[in-house]
Amino acid sequence: MATVNIQNIQKHYGAVKVIHGIDIDIADGEFVVLVGPSGCGKSTLLRMIAGLEEVSGGEIHIGSREVSNMPARDRDIAMVFQNYALYPHMTVADNMGFALKLKKVPAAEIQAKVKRAASILGLEALLDRYPKQLSGGQRQRVAMGRAIVRDPQVFLFDEPLSNLDAKLRVQMRGEIKTMHQRIGTTTIYVTHDQVEAMTMADKIVVLHGGFIEQIGAPLELYDRPANIFVAGFIGSPAMNFIDGWVEEGVFRTTKGLILPLPQAVAEKMGGRDLVYGIRPEHIRASTQGIEGRVTLVEGTGSEIFTRLDAHGEDIACLFRERFDVRFGDTVFIEIDPSKVHLFDKQTGRRI
Amino acid sequence: MAKRLIRRKTLDSLGLLFVAFIMVSPVILFFLWMISLSLKYEIDNGAYPPILFPENVAWSNYLKVFEENNFLLYFWNSVLVTGTATLLALVIGVPSGYGIARLKAEKSAVVIMIARMTPGLSFLIPLFLLFQWTGLIGTLWPQIIIHLVVTVPIVVWIMIGYFETTPMELEEAASIDGATPWQVFRLVALPIAKPGIVVSFILALIFSWNNFVFGIVLANRETRTLPVAVYNMLSFEQVSWGPLAAAALIVTLPVLLLTMFAQKQIVAGLTAGAVKGG
Repeated sequence: MATVNIQNIQKHYGAVKVIHGIDIDIADGEFVVLVGPSGCGKSTLLRMIAGLEEVSGGEIHIGSREVSNMPARDRDIAMVFQNYALYPHMTVADNMGFALKLKKVPAAEIQAKVKRAASILGLEALLDRYPKQLSGGQRQRVAMGRAIVRDPQVFLFDEPLSNLDAKLRVQMRGEIKTMHQRIGTTTIYVTHDQVEAMTMADKIVVLHGGFIEQIGAPLELYDRPANIFVAGFIGSPAMNFIDGWVEEGVFRTTKGLILPLPQAVAEKMGGRDLVYGIRPEHIRASTQGIEGRVTLVEGTGSEIFTRLDAHGEDIACLFRERFDVRFGDTVFIEIDPSKVHLFDKQTGRRI
Repeated sequence: MAKRLIRRKTLDSLGLLFVAFIMVSPVILFFLWMISLSLKYEIDNGAYPPILFPENVAWSNYLKVFEENNFLLYFWNSVLVTGTATLLALVIGVPSGYGIARLKAEKSAVVIMIARMTPGLSFLIPLFLLFQWTGLIGTLWPQIIIHLVVTVPIVVWIMIGYFETTPMELEEAASIDGATPWQVFRLVALPIAKPGIVVSFILALIFSWNNFVFGIVLANRETRTLPVAVYNMLSFEQVSWGPLAAAALIVTLPVLLLTMFAQKQIVAGLTAGAVKGG
């Protein structure tokens, strides 16, 4: 187990810069999730930590060692790939023991370690099978087993659940988290799925266009997003953003919609162009307040998702209580002023 | 309705079989005629109208092949030349194919192809002189070395196709697991490419076995390979069609059997790289 320090890491392919000087500190035993839309540089960053991609500038430290220019095989890390990357010509046991065999660990010891990892993951019955005889979830487990057997300083996961179906994904998400709590190895996990990030991480790093948008605990990112990008990326369904300005203690839009604000904020924000952010789940149905016409209704049983047209603004709402609402109905909603986020329209930063 | 559908399907497959028969019929007829020739006495072979099924079968033609020539020696020469040239081609070609595929050095693959496309005769004469100076003429080595011109490009090109379809992630996983580049090649890339190695081995074998032009220039009486031996039967004994056809069939037999047994893998090998990840 070890800390990981990433200092001013850069990556460019010729003149194209894909990562622009990133700093991340990862504590010993921490579960860090790198999250962002495709092309944000998260996989490239992970591959640089793994040693599969050359570093164009900056330093990576694992524990006390500077590893930026060290070959992957010397970094003492284990990685789980999106396609599992199991060796097709080896049995499950051989796949899991491959790294130890390369290290010339005695066969008896390899067998014991493989058995122990297999028992953690429930793979004992499959040790003699070949990867092609396994289901997606089982392959995923073998890939994790291969990482555990190594007992490395850092685990790296590169979108490991993307190839699984929705139900299995939720199950494996839980298993990875349980495994981390049990073994406690420092883990860096890349995903584009913010739900995975929110549910698994001790710390989330939101990347966008090769820059870090925000680093923080999941709830911190949810409650206090640093900018419009993070606010829109974290949370599902995504936050509503409405352009306008503050006047006479309320938020106004050009189309005439009036939205409530917390008292303390309303007094000092006059005049500026702002973006008003409110999460769909922080909007309540009411008998008075803001009037809107329903343009979409999606019920899942546990909640009702609707889109409203309120004075020409499109507002998404998520209602936990069940009530009869149909396309074209007129409904009233109330917004809790304490849950409102305000952003500067020019910079996108939180105010 | 169902009846009509079945009739339609039967007609379809019959039609397909007919077309397939038309397409392969030249090859089949050619082979049938060769078998017929090899089983007829000279008098039947020259008869007009031609006879396909003779009344008296001339097994003696086959005996003659072995009696009148040093056929077993030539067979053994062929085995040595083709076997060594093919094995050497694997030793050279498989790592080359891997290197070219991983470094994406297609240009060097083209250079190898050009060496293959150059007419053999254009470099045979200088090479003959070279072998003479080095005193290798009279041994099998000149033929083994020059057969590499045939076998190495086949192996390299097929292996490039195979290694390109091996997922990069597997090799990355191995290097993270602590493997050196050599170990990655030996323990991961090579075992996965086994079908490709088998295919390139078989194809190189076939091309080398059937090669004629190198042998006719470089071989003497003791170092002849089978195709050359067959040709010599033609020139020394006038044209005795029966033994000639028998000899040709004996030469073709090993390759024919190999092709029949390895058909599936050969097709897979020839289409490798055509369908990425397929």
